[in-house]
Amino acid sequence: MITTTMETAKTFILLGWRNLWRQKRRSLVVILSITIGVVLMLLQIAIMNGMITQMLENNISTKLGHISIAKKGFFDDMKLESNFFPDPSMLDRIRNEKNVVAVAPRVKAFAMIRSSETSRGVIVMGVYPDREKKISKINEYTLAEQGGRYLDDPASNDILISKSLAEKLDVSVGDKIVLLVHDEDSEMTNYGLTVRGLFQTPVRDYDNGVIYMGIKRLQEITGLKDNVSEVMVITTNKNVVDSVKPRIVKSVADDNLEILTWKEMAPFLLSAIAMIDKQMIVFYFIVFITIIFSIANTLIMSIMERFHELGVMKSIGTRPSQIFFIIMFEAMNLGAVGLGVGVLISIAAVNILAIKGIDFSLFMEAMRQWGAGSIIYPLIYARDIVISVVVVEFTTLLAAVYPAVKAARIKPLEALHYI
Amino acid sequence: MSIITISSLTKTYDGGGIEVKALRGIDLAIGRGEFTAIAGPSGSGKTTLLNLIGGLDHPTGGALTVAGSDLNRMTPRELSDIRLNKIGFIFQAYNLIPVLSALENVEYILLLQGVAKGERRDRSRRILEEVGLGREINRLPKELSGGQQQRVAVARAIVSEPELVLADEPTANLDQKTGSSLLDLMHDLNHQKNITFLFSTHDAMVMDYAERIIRLSDGMIISDDKKKSGRESSVKKVKKKK
Repeated sequence: MITTTMETAKTFILLGWRNLWRQKRRSLVVILSITIGVVLMLLQIAIMNGMITQMLENNISTKLGHISIAKKGFFDDMKLESNFFPDPSMLDRIRNEKNVVAVAPRVKAFAMIRSSETSRGVIVMGVYPDREKKISKINEYTLAEQGGRYLDDPASNDILISKSLAEKLDVSVGDKIVLLVHDEDSEMTNYGLTVRGLFQTPVRDYDNGVIYMGIKRLQEITGLKDNVSEVMVITTNKNVVDSVKPRIVKSVADDNLEILTWKEMAPFLLSAIAMIDKQMIVFYFIVFITIIFSIANTLIMSIMERFHELGVMKSIGTRPSQIFFIIMFEAMNLGAVGLGVGVLISIAAVNILAIKGIDFSLFMEAMRQWGAGSIIYPLIYARDIVISVVVVEFTTLLAAVYPAVKAARIKPLEALHYI
Repeated sequence: MSIITISSLTKTYDGGGIEVKALRGIDLAIGRGEFTAIAGPSGSGKTTLLNLIGGLDHPTGGALTVAGSDLNRMTPRELSDIRLNKIGFIFQAYNLIPVLSALENVEYILLLQGVAKGERRDRSRRILEEVGLGREINRLPKELSGGQQQRVAVARAIVSEPELVLADEPTANLDQKTGSSLLDLMHDLNHQKNITFLFSTHDAMVMDYAERIIRLSDGMIISDDKKKSGRESSVKKVKKKK
């Protein structure tokens, strides 16, 4: 019984497939419209995916990390007084937790940087140069131009500033600048430092507002001694933070410390992702509308042309429900061809575009503000393909219901007289 | 024993506000294995009668039983099933499914009946060979001549060995030689398989082959004659013309 039903379905699919090519040009136009809809939808999704991924990765790889441990209140105002001593045994315990990849302390302080030309307010990031390589990409972002290089000594007077900040201050590698920072007595003190290298991250605002120097030297000039502002934790990936955080809370076991994941530190990122997800729904809807009208129109025309033939099929014993399925299969074939071609083109296009990325710097100011960077590398996931298959096939079948019902209700005698 | 029993059958159409009486009280019984022609001029009601017997239309009044089923009491689905399982149709315009090959067209009926693939293929091939199309099985209808298409239609109508085959002017689009050869084929099938054939026609050759001729005029039976099939004489006439 099941075998026969399968064979009947197979024959109906075959009928639908052959009927599809009776009006080649018309079917191709519909297939093309579905293909274009799918390609536009998947490219848009791929660009959004790229944007979200870059936005998260850039924020995580520069300022956030995956998990941060700081004294309570530090995350609210980033005051220098909110510091703590990172007990080495505590750091070891955290480092040994499952899914933890790297742990490194940082000192963060507000300061003024001054050149002979101008001055700027910045956040000074005191880091251990070696350990920082494991928790951020600042090493990779350091430019080789002008003989610049990454920091190597946590106690030296060397600093890293961004290329854009260097241009604003009119300084280059090897030049001296003055850093004005609060010391332990809350008094502003000047320190002469040397620009050791220039960096450029994909986040312009970050570049303009952050400089790097050795943590030991910053602890010395701020009077923090061995204390730090925060301890950054990097996990195997950004999605495991919710399961890692409770274990770190247990390892730290200090009520004076606060432990936040990147999601808690930057809720605006999650809001931006939610907003992008809503935009996706709009794109799905546009494709939905395109498909529903072109399929319904094509099928109605096709049924009117085959009115007589469908009447014959009913005359010789094809049940109304079987006529309904023949038309549904025809629509499914139409959707499947457009979908298949669209998905293949989209995957190829995404892979090609991902090689060099798409430069949105001329008109996408907001993306830079979100930290996505101006060049977006589109990304497509299997999930997106599955969603597009479901959306397109569901829409196609929905569009076919009315024509299929119409065909199923054809009165055989009326149709036999229709030429 | 009758395969078709008709009593006081009427059919009235609404012809744009004017009542058109296509059938005016037909009483008729067709026995199993008959080779019968319903003859009459255009508008006499022969196609209407055939459509009612085939369950393609509903009568206005009267009773109609085909192969033991009262067609007046059947739902559209039940009518579909009776058309599929008990009646074979042959149309004037062949009416094959254009996207299916000759074999697939014949097989289609068996597929709808749920016959297994192997048996379906074998029976369809065999019947196409019987109608002389053993070499054309994979051709599409558009690749076949009119006579060949009508042979496929005959094969499709009889492949499931129905109790009754209804043929609406089956030779109307064929030349005399092709028409005669098709009638020979149907006559043989009638005798070999005991399938009842009922034709609507105004073709003298079909009437010549028929063993019973029911003449209609203005929706009424005006004569009902049984005779011997003129199959032999018809064949001779064709040969003489050649």
